[in-house]
Amino acid sequence: MSLAEPVVKAKRAVDHNDVILRVRGLKKYFPIYAGFIIQRQVGAVRAVDGLDFDVYRGETLGLVGESGCGKSTTGRTILQLYKPTEGVVEFEGRDLTKLSPGDMRQMRKQMQIIFQDPFASLNPRMTVGNIISEPLQIHGLYPDKKERQGYVEQLMQRVGLNPYFINRYPHEFSGGQRQRIGIARALALQPKFIVCDEPISALDVSIQAQVVNLLEDLQQELGLTYLFIAHDLSMVRHICNRVAVMYLGKIVEMGPTDEVYDNPQHPYTQALLSAVPQHPNSRQRRQRIIVKGDIPSPANPPRGCNFNTRCPVSFSLCYRDPDPELVEIGQGHWVACHRVTP
Amino acid sequence: MSVLLDIQDLVVRFYTQEGVVYAVNNVTYALKEGETLGVVGESGSGKSVHALAMMRLIPSPPGKIEQGKVIFEGRDLLQLSNDQMRLVRGKEIAMIFQDPMTSLNPVLTIGTQMTETLKLHMGMNSSQANKRAAELLDMVGIPDARKRLKAYPHQFSGGMRQRVMIAMGLSCNPKLLIADEPTTALDVTIQAQIIELVKQLRDEFKMAMIWITHDLGVVAELADTIQVMYGGMVVERGPAKEVFGDPRNAYTLGLMRSLPKMEGERERLTQIEGSPPDMRIPPKGDPFAPRNQYATERCFNEIPPLMPVRDGHPEHLAAAWYDLRAILEAEQKEGAVS
Repeated sequence: MSLAEPVVKAKRAVDHNDVILRVRGLKKYFPIYAGFIIQRQVGAVRAVDGLDFDVYRGETLGLVGESGCGKSTTGRTILQLYKPTEGVVEFEGRDLTKLSPGDMRQMRKQMQIIFQDPFASLNPRMTVGNIISEPLQIHGLYPDKKERQGYVEQLMQRVGLNPYFINRYPHEFSGGQRQRIGIARALALQPKFIVCDEPISALDVSIQAQVVNLLEDLQQELGLTYLFIAHDLSMVRHICNRVAVMYLGKIVEMGPTDEVYDNPQHPYTQALLSAVPQHPNSRQRRQRIIVKGDIPSPANPPRGCNFNTRCPVSFSLCYRDPDPELVEIGQGHWVACHRVTP
Repeated sequence: MSVLLDIQDLVVRFYTQEGVVYAVNNVTYALKEGETLGVVGESGSGKSVHALAMMRLIPSPPGKIEQGKVIFEGRDLLQLSNDQMRLVRGKEIAMIFQDPMTSLNPVLTIGTQMTETLKLHMGMNSSQANKRAAELLDMVGIPDARKRLKAYPHQFSGGMRQRVMIAMGLSCNPKLLIADEPTTALDVTIQAQIIELVKQLRDEFKMAMIWITHDLGVVAELADTIQVMYGGMVVERGPAKEVFGDPRNAYTLGLMRSLPKMEGERERLTQIEGSPPDMRIPPKGDPFAPRNQYATERCFNEIPPLMPVRDGHPEHLAAAWYDLRAILEAEQKEGAVS
């Protein structure tokens, strides 16, 4: 633990003309079937319901929202781990939804994912060395066994694991160390883009900062782009350049992190931010906005604006179709709310 | 205010196949009537186990309460017969758990589960109990309470289930409510609802509360007293303002510095190196010593006692062989010079 004067983070320069990932009209519906022998589709869970956003090279875009809002599904649909129902996902100009499985496999070298649960995402019967080198073998990289092992050891070193433990099994490691194994596996193919799906929420408080610092260092060093999915809003503020707030499968607000946190426009963003427990030594005391009720079922979203069942400032227009559109109200600050853009 | 609960030298161990787990090591503290105590710690710190031990809910085997006293209103709970203890649980001390999904019985209606305690502890008949249960559900903000008594747990959302748990906990006007990570499984907006509700009910019922969590932000909002646990021991304890404003244990300080802030300049997070201790190794010194840059020789060899801090609030206690305040002051001076 270093208690020396904390260093103010240098802001990374991000070129807003250099789009690495372009998402347009992305939808992912999961069908609901009924009937015992003859099954027919009776509805759909609209997990992701029309997303438009860009991710710039070298930035960290935060995707926040409560459970069931579709943020994890978004991450997986972008990587084509789920087949999108509709929409376009362009990575460096190539539409991933139209690629053949073989081409997609080649593309996966560029894009990787770190999962939430380091206990469930590592095969307990494989050694750490095998886990980290599996992607290399799949893609036929480092065919020489010696060289491969050398590279894996180098990766372990880089994420803060002792290469001495290369032949150990996941259960011999703590949660934080396992997450480091997951990170090393994701880095093995030297990707450009990594989806971090709640990478710290399963970790102990005293370990979270270690993993976040590691992710930041790696980004700086390797020029990585992150899509950081999380529900911990204070950590998102810390790590992300821009943030997109999701509610029931849609983005309700998006913009530069400071702009969204200091000047939230959507009533949901306002409520969400005011609900975050503050740092114990925080001097500011925010007025807390308590929203009533629960998030509605994505299988049966309300008519009109999705937030109208809980919104403290809704009015007649909010209960009618169509839903409010995401409109740019300031420099890169987008909001979908009838109150803001009538 | 008089003392409601007095825990003395509590030791809990688990005898597992992988060895003895030293889960709770000599925990001693007192809770006053009406006080809200926030117990902070990470997994394996003994925060939940010590509360379960106090309620005598440790599965035995493998668990065993090796020694200690839990004096509640003059009686040692650890000496009571099982029947006597059953009268304390739910009536005098109520407990709500982290996961409202698994702590409600899925095959019984909410009404059946709520009226059970009322009938058992308050001697009510069915119609009285039903009426009271409906009142309680109404109080925790569940609309259409009478009808909802006939519903099953799966028909409720996570937040609603936690409300039901709270209503059940409060049903017999307990003097002490133990809440074990009650909002951890919930989303932030729902967590905010539950915290508001609990604050309001606590003041209304004038009960004491032990709120167990890993989230410093949550206890900062709720608790009068903060108790930080690490490696099965209490490492720091005191009024919330003192502990957060003037921490005297390096673990408390490390935890606070590792949290990102919601306002101001973004700084690199100060991380605590290393991992939490292996609880299968019997405690020898300060459990935090291997991760603590200020640790002295003595920290590794001798367990520090929980002592009043130097020049501090009289109720502010810390277990440390080093003087953290002096160290920080020296560091600051050095920084100013260079």
